[in-house]
Amino acid sequence: MNVTAHNRTYSGRPNDPVRPFGIGFVVLAMMPLVILPLASIFYYGFNKGPIHFWEAVKAPAAIYSLQLSLMTSSVATVCNVVFGIIAAYVMYKYRFKGSSALMIVISLPTAIPTAVAGVALLLVWGRSGLFGSLLEYTDYQVMFTTAAIILANIFVTFPLAFGVIKPALDNLDPSFESAAETMGATRWQTFLYVVLPSLRGAIITGALLTFARCIGEFGSTIMVSGNKAKTMTAPLYIYAKFNEAEVEAATAIAAVLAVISFIVFSLILFTRNRLEK
Amino acid sequence: MMAQAMLNQVYETEIYAEPAALKNNALIVNGLSKQFGSERVLDDISFSIAEGESLVLLGPSGSGKSTTLRLIAGLETPDGGDIFLHGRHIEHLRARERNIGVIFQNYALFPRMTVADNIAFGLKIRGVKRKTRDAKVEELLAMIGMTEHRDKYPSQISGGQQQRVAIARALAYKPELLLFDESFSALDPQTRTGLRREIRLLLQKLKIPAMFITHDQEEAMELGDQIAILNKGRLEQIGTPREVYDNPQTEFAATFLGAANVVEVCRNDGVELLDCRQCEALPTNDWQSPERVKIIFRPEDVVLSAATSLPEAEKHLGHGIVVDVNFTGALEVVRVKLLSLNQFGYLNSANCQNFDQPCDLIIKVLRTKWDAQRMPLNPKDKVGVWLRDHKMLENKL
Repeated sequence: MNVTAHNRTYSGRPNDPVRPFGIGFVVLAMMPLVILPLASIFYYGFNKGPIHFWEAVKAPAAIYSLQLSLMTSSVATVCNVVFGIIAAYVMYKYRFKGSSALMIVISLPTAIPTAVAGVALLLVWGRSGLFGSLLEYTDYQVMFTTAAIILANIFVTFPLAFGVIKPALDNLDPSFESAAETMGATRWQTFLYVVLPSLRGAIITGALLTFARCIGEFGSTIMVSGNKAKTMTAPLYIYAKFNEAEVEAATAIAAVLAVISFIVFSLILFTRNRLEK
Repeated sequence: MMAQAMLNQVYETEIYAEPAALKNNALIVNGLSKQFGSERVLDDISFSIAEGESLVLLGPSGSGKSTTLRLIAGLETPDGGDIFLHGRHIEHLRARERNIGVIFQNYALFPRMTVADNIAFGLKIRGVKRKTRDAKVEELLAMIGMTEHRDKYPSQISGGQQQRVAIARALAYKPELLLFDESFSALDPQTRTGLRREIRLLLQKLKIPAMFITHDQEEAMELGDQIAILNKGRLEQIGTPREVYDNPQTEFAATFLGAANVVEVCRNDGVELLDCRQCEALPTNDWQSPERVKIIFRPEDVVLSAATSLPEAEKHLGHGIVVDVNFTGALEVVRVKLLSLNQFGYLNSANCQNFDQPCDLIIKVLRTKWDAQRMPLNPKDKVGVWLRDHKMLENKL
């Protein structure tokens, strides 16, 4: 499908004199804005040779921050994908008063600045917050722990998976469910064997989008992490190292993060083309 | 009220009498009604399907035929009426508890399952063991001639093949009734005719009762042991294709199953007068209180003859002027404009000649190529028009 779309792309009339200027402009504009900054991460990361790079990546604090980022991002992704599937199915199946209002509320978190999201979480889960004050009675604390980072990630990426799964559900022919039902399937069996497999592509895309957004999250995590080594995610580590003027250490981890993002992004493109038909 | 009375009757007979009706009929639908908002889509529909027979619900879109199917399948809840499947009261059951197979309009094959997995689905849901399941699937694949396509996905097979798979998928769990929802409309005409014949044979072999819904009269004639004609949520007529075609009870039934000419006539004292204008225009004092009735006749029941030769004993429509002649292959379609106020069936009466003027009434006539060769017709020819057969609709104006 993509191939035909590509073939049909308008390629301009032959010998169009504007053509080289058009293409040249796009590439030139991207140079200082996108291409050079990305390239320089790898340039500075490997500036003192691969051994230095490897040393920087291998530092225990660096490894810890990468592990923490991967772990919190994964947990947040699983939570939001599960929520996204359930919410999308509920909104698809039922029409109720205020359903469009609920749709807006679900989609709201992406529109909120990440620092604001961090503050908002602090207000609820912090010591004087609604849940935070209840937790005071236990030994458990949420803010300034790994849990806080997961909460921040969940908040910031809340509607991403939902936003991909809901349209896929809307495109699903309702007669599939009817057919399964007449064949004797319960609601749960219908959902499991018929609805869910049809959403496979959307679920994977939604998960990757969520993960990609989580792994780079900075604004909200810096608010809730409490500037502790235990809660230092990879982006926070980069920031800290820059502040300490350890540019090589910072750029090395930045390069690793960039590569992870590239991989996730290519996977998104791949699933879009292959799994979503 | 009526429905309630009938319902009570059915209950009583079911409990105390166990009549033949409940035993011999696979499906009984009694007084089924459904309303969507303020719109009454089904109004007191009753019919039955005998064991091993097929019924076609024929009607235009919006006639309520799809709703009837969805009510029987359990995909909608009726507002009133009863549904019995093999003597079992089912209208309160969920779709999955009814054991009915539905072949949807677009077949609704599960896109992420192979042909074999689609067929196995109903058995898997019922917890049938893998070995038994596989054997049954193989048997069904062989029956529909798709063994070599077992591992393909629905998007990789043709529309006709998809329909076969949909049927096999429904047959797998031995349904008590098969419902076909406009299942042929998406196929090209040749595949359609072939598949219809195959399905007819298959149903006869398996003796599974079936209900088809369609708006295609040709399909209805070919598939149905019985045809039920539905219009605006009401059942117009039910009977064998021949009964409905030869003896339509309503104008709608006549015009929807086959083509029909409908002519309004005025009748008084057993004498009918063809009325192109109004009954009030009738001139003589003999016609005190003329009654309006409609006569219905098929295009093939009309005989055209030379203007001067009209056999006296037959039912006449008097004279007409040929409007146009269309050759359609086996048959020729002639449209004839009738001349007004002819006395229906009494050509030689004194009144006739006086009113021999053109009117707006055009009838359609079918002639075989032999008739066409014997008496070639051209537009503006004057012809005598008489009927081999007609049907009068009493009090149905």
